[in-house]
Parts: sequence; C-alpha cells; structure tokens
Amino acid sequence: MPDAAESRLGYWVNEIEEVGIATLLGLMALVTFANVVARYVFQSNLLWALETTTYLFAWLVLFGISHAVKISANLGVDAVLNYLSPPAQRICALIAVTACLTFTVLLLYGGWEYWSKFAFKLSFLESEDIPFPVWLQSLLGYVEDGEPIYEKIPRFIPYVILPVGMALLLIRYLQAAVRIWRGEQRMLIASHEVEAIEEPK
Amino acid sequence: MEVLLLFTAVITLLLLGVPIAIALGLSSITFLLYHSDSSLASVAQTLFEAFEGHYTLLAIPFFILASSYMSTGGVAKRIIRFAIATVGHVRGGLAIAGVFACMLFAALSGSSPATVVAIGTIVISGMLKVGYTKDFAAGVICNAGTLGILIPPSIVMVVYAAATDVSVGRMFLAGVIPGLLAGLMLMIGIYIAARIKNLPAQPWAGFGEIRDAAIDAGWGLFLIVIILGGIYGGVFTPTEAAAVASVYAFLIANFIYRDMGPLKDQPLRRDGENRLFAFIRNWLLFFRYLIPAMFHPDHRQSLLEGGKLTIMLLFIIANALILKHVLTEEQIPQEIASAMLAAGFGSVMFLVIVNLILLIGGQFMEPSGLIVIVAPLVFPIAIQLGIDPIHLGIIMVVNMEIGMITPPVGLNLFVTSGVAKMSVLSVVRAATPWLGILLIFLVMITYIPWLSTFIPNSLMGPEVITIS
Repeated sequence: MPDAAESRLGYWVNEIEEVGIATLLGLMALVTFANVVARYVFQSNLLWALETTTYLFAWLVLFGISHAVKISANLGVDAVLNYLSPPAQRICALIAVTACLTFTVLLLYGGWEYWSKFAFKLSFLESEDIPFPVWLQSLLGYVEDGEPIYEKIPRFIPYVILPVGMALLLIRYLQAAVRIWRGEQRMLIASHEVEAIEEPK
Repeated sequence: MEVLLLFTAVITLLLLGVPIAIALGLSSITFLLYHSDSSLASVAQTLFEAFEGHYTLLAIPFFILASSYMSTGGVAKRIIRFAIATVGHVRGGLAIAGVFACMLFAALSGSSPATVVAIGTIVISGMLKVGYTKDFAAGVICNAGTLGILIPPSIVMVVYAAATDVSVGRMFLAGVIPGLLAGLMLMIGIYIAARIKNLPAQPWAGFGEIRDAAIDAGWGLFLIVIILGGIYGGVFTPTEAAAVASVYAFLIANFIYRDMGPLKDQPLRRDGENRLFAFIRNWLLFFRYLIPAMFHPDHRQSLLEGGKLTIMLLFIIANALILKHVLTEEQIPQEIASAMLAAGFGSVMFLVIVNLILLIGGQFMEPSGLIVIVAPLVFPIAIQLGIDPIHLGIIMVVNMEIGMITPPVGLNLFVTSGVAKMSVLSVVRAATPWLGILLIFLVMITYIPWLSTFIPNSLMGPEVITIS
C-alpha cells in the first residue's frame, strides 16, 4: 500500500499548498481593504497594515514558488528545445535542472545565513509596526518573569520564509530532477505558456 | 567586458530551458560571488526586499486578483453584448466589436493574455458562426488583446513605475490616449479589410439594447472608475485602489452577476417579483451569504488562480531585481550613458536603439522581467537627453505589446492558439498583417510625445524629474 499512502500524502500536501496560497492572497487584499475602510469610515489608521501586507506578499511568493514548480508553471523559452531530438532535449533538461538546483542551494544557504543572523544574534530586532499579541507570546514561550519579551513581532519571524521557502523549492527541484532522469518529464518549464497564464474554463 | 558575459549566461540558460526567473537569478548570483565581495546572505536579502521594499509592486497581486474575479465569464459576456450593440452594425462589425470589447476588458484587467482569454473565448467562436475565417478572427483578437497592458490599469506599467520611481498614476493616465488610438487604428484597419473582403455586418439592435447592455455591463466597468477616480481624486494610493478594486470585483462577481459563489446562477429578480421585495430580499441574501461566499470553493479557485499568476510573475521580477542590483552596483547604466553621449547619439537615435533592444528582448523575455532590467539601463540616458520618463514608459509598454505577438515567446500567440484551437504557427501567420498597424502605432508613439504626456501633464502638472 505504499502508493496509496503516497498519493494521500500528495493530496494533503497539495491541499495545504493551495489553501496556503489562497489564504495569503486573500489576507493581503483584506488587510489593505481594511486599512482603507479604517481611514474613511473610522477616521483612524491601521499602522500595522502596510508592513503586514508586504510580509504576506513575500510569504505568498516564497512559499508558493515550490507549488509553481510542482505544477510546472514556470515561464521559459521552449523555442529551441522544441526542435531538438528527445535525447538532446533530455540532456538540456538535465543541465537546466542542475542550474535550478544550484540556484536553490545557493539561496537556501544565503537565506539560512540571513535568517539565522536575525534569529540568534539580532533576535531583539523588531518589525516596525506589527504588534505581537501577549497571548501568542505566552503560547510560544516568549515570556520572561511573566512579562512578554517583545512589543512588536521580531524580524526573524517573517524572514523565516526565506530558508523555508528555498528548502521547499529544493525538494521540488530534486523531484523534478528524478522525473527528468527517469524520462517521465520532458522539460522544466511550462511548454505551452497557455496553461501557465490562465486555464480557460 | 564581464557584463556581456553576464547577459550571455542569461541567454544561454534561457535557451537550455531554465525558467526565466532562475536564469536571471543564477547568472546574477554567480556574477556577484565572483566579482564583488557580496555574501549570499546579502543576495537573499535583496530577494526579500523585492517584496518588503517595493510598495508599488504590491498593486500587482491585487490587480491580478480583481481580474481573476472578472474572468469568471459573465463580465466578458456582458461587455461583448454592449460592444456588439454599439458597433456591431457596421461592416466587419463583429470584429470591430471584438476590438472594442478587448479595450473595455483591458480597462478591468492589467494583463494582455487575460484579455485574450476572456474576450477571445466568446468572440472568436461567434465570428466563425457568422462567416469570418478563423485566421481573421484569431488575428484580430490576438492583436487587440495586447491593449490589456496599454489601457490602464496595467501590470507592466506598475512594474515600470516601480523600477524607475515614477508615479503609477501618471503612467496609467498616460496610457489612455495611446490605448484609445491603438484601438481606433485597429478598428479602421478592420473596417477597410471588411470593405474589401465584403465581411458581414450585424443587424442594428436599437438604442434600447445599447442602454440595457450598458447598464448590465456598467457594474463591471465601474471598476475602472474606482481605480482611476480613486487614484486621481487622491482617495487611494494605487495599491489601495487595486485592493479596493479586487474587493469590488469579488462583490460584483458573487452578488450582482452571480457567476460564482453560493448564489451562482440565481436571478436578481424572480419572475413577477415586486421591485421593493426583490431589493430587500437581495440585501438579506447579501448579509446571509457574504461570509460563506468568502469560503466558497469558487472563491478558493479564483484566489488560487490569482495567487499562482502572482507567484510566477513576482518570482521573475524579484530575480530581475537581483540583476538590476548587479547592474547598478557595477555602474553599468552610467557607463552606457556616457558611451552613448560620447558617440553623439541624439534622442531620435537613442529611441530607435531602445525600440530595437526591446523588440528583440521582448521576443525572449516575459515583459515585466524585461522592463525591470532594461528600464534602469536606459532611464538615466533618457533623462540626460531630455526625454520625458512617462513618454519613455509608454514607448516601453508599446514595445512589450508587440513582443507579445511576435514569436518565439509571444504570450498572446500561445494563449490565442489555445483559445482558437489553432497551431501557434498559424496564429503567427494570422496575426502578422495586423502587426503592421501596431508597428506604425509604435513609430507614432515614439516620435509624438504629446500622445503620452498630454493627459498626465494637464491633470497632474508637469513632471518633476528627480535623478537619484
């Protein structure tokens, strides 16, 4: 039964990715809209709205990019590839996936280094405007002598998506590499950009 | 010159089938590691700052989202009905109405492929039914669809504004006259072709139909009033306008047009229902279903579609920003600028070169990524030569339009081939005659700056140029 277990896992991973992407985008729109409403209806300003939206934005793209690789929705140039023989295509695809793996490993390392700086050495650095609710802090254990440590959300929380997103991306590219090696996938990019842009219903 | 090596690396990777974003990112990172003492952590920081530090880019996901709600089908149908009612009765009317519908949809959506899909799906089959050839239908829509990025709102304009720090509002305004002009030129071209080929006209439907269709389409078209009115009235920033537009589009799609969500396909007013009663009933329905509509599977689908498109586009832009970072750090724009000025190029020659670079580059690159890279290269030169930055932006957008309908990476070609169920090659052939019109249009835009600068300058005052 390993196959069934695997496809079930695949289903749930896919579900998490899709819901995650939808939620992040929906929240971005909602927070920005709420700020407009606050300004015109309640004559006040949601100070944290802008910064929150930019972080959600970064999370959306860095979290979602691995999903895009999985559904093979990356834009690229297939003009030359289409004229090559299948063996030559395979070699190109292998070189291409190596390039992608290199990119991801480099950024994973860079992302980790950047994040760990904020997580360990500079963990006192806070974001500018986003408050950190006390109950959440006590839940996460950020309490000292019964007092919450932070006033605002510390920077290492939003930045964590850099290494996490790149790690997810690395997994997807490794899977793609295996599929190309086995001959199950022909190219790394969306061969017909139609599907990538819009799925006509 | 190492920079030449950098661009060669990008192009080689692209041709090998590496995704555009990775080709840009990997080449730049390698260059940075070899050529300067930047660390990988600082590259990662640049990547993150693409989102954290560019408030303007935030408008893109919202415009995409609004267009994703509006692409559920019903809006396009209503716009097309209105277009046919107004211009369908002249010769070649359905094709002209198709262009008109593309222009209207372009005012709701910031992307060309989305415009082709929304309008083309319906109009092309309609044209075939009344006797147009498939080539004619596909060629017209493929070209008219490019107006999606010229008529505001436009994602490509937002990217240009973010890359060069000009105002998004000005760019949007600047696109109005060129957008109308391009549409008009296409329509005239179609009318002449229709006279020669003796193409059919639709029956005149009467003013009543125009009024009814206008009211019906008006709910959707009000979106452009929110966006442009909101920005110029100083009510919203462009980003906020985009977010409000997406919320508005969500409400319209769910509760007025009912193309999606829990009330899908239920009429606003039942047969023989009292007006007042229907009014009250619909408000009650709104409050009852507002929250369920947010969690409806249809809504999840729209969000997901918008999200995927945003992710793809922004990952390219973020990596293009790393390349831009390399270029500015190496002072490439300044070098090119002084070389060009030393060679004695005037503004005319300069614009020809810009057009050539963009036309060639546009055939290999996604428009937004290309703009992020090319804009900072040519912007300082343009300023020194006294070219209006807004004018330069419109030239770039029109070049991108042409890039979208020229192989090998013409996005509109691929989308049209999917919509019209033709091979890409035959779409290329079908689109070519109309391409001539867009090329003439490009020359006009390039050498008549007034077309782009008149509205923004008269509404917002002359542009103040700041060189950073």
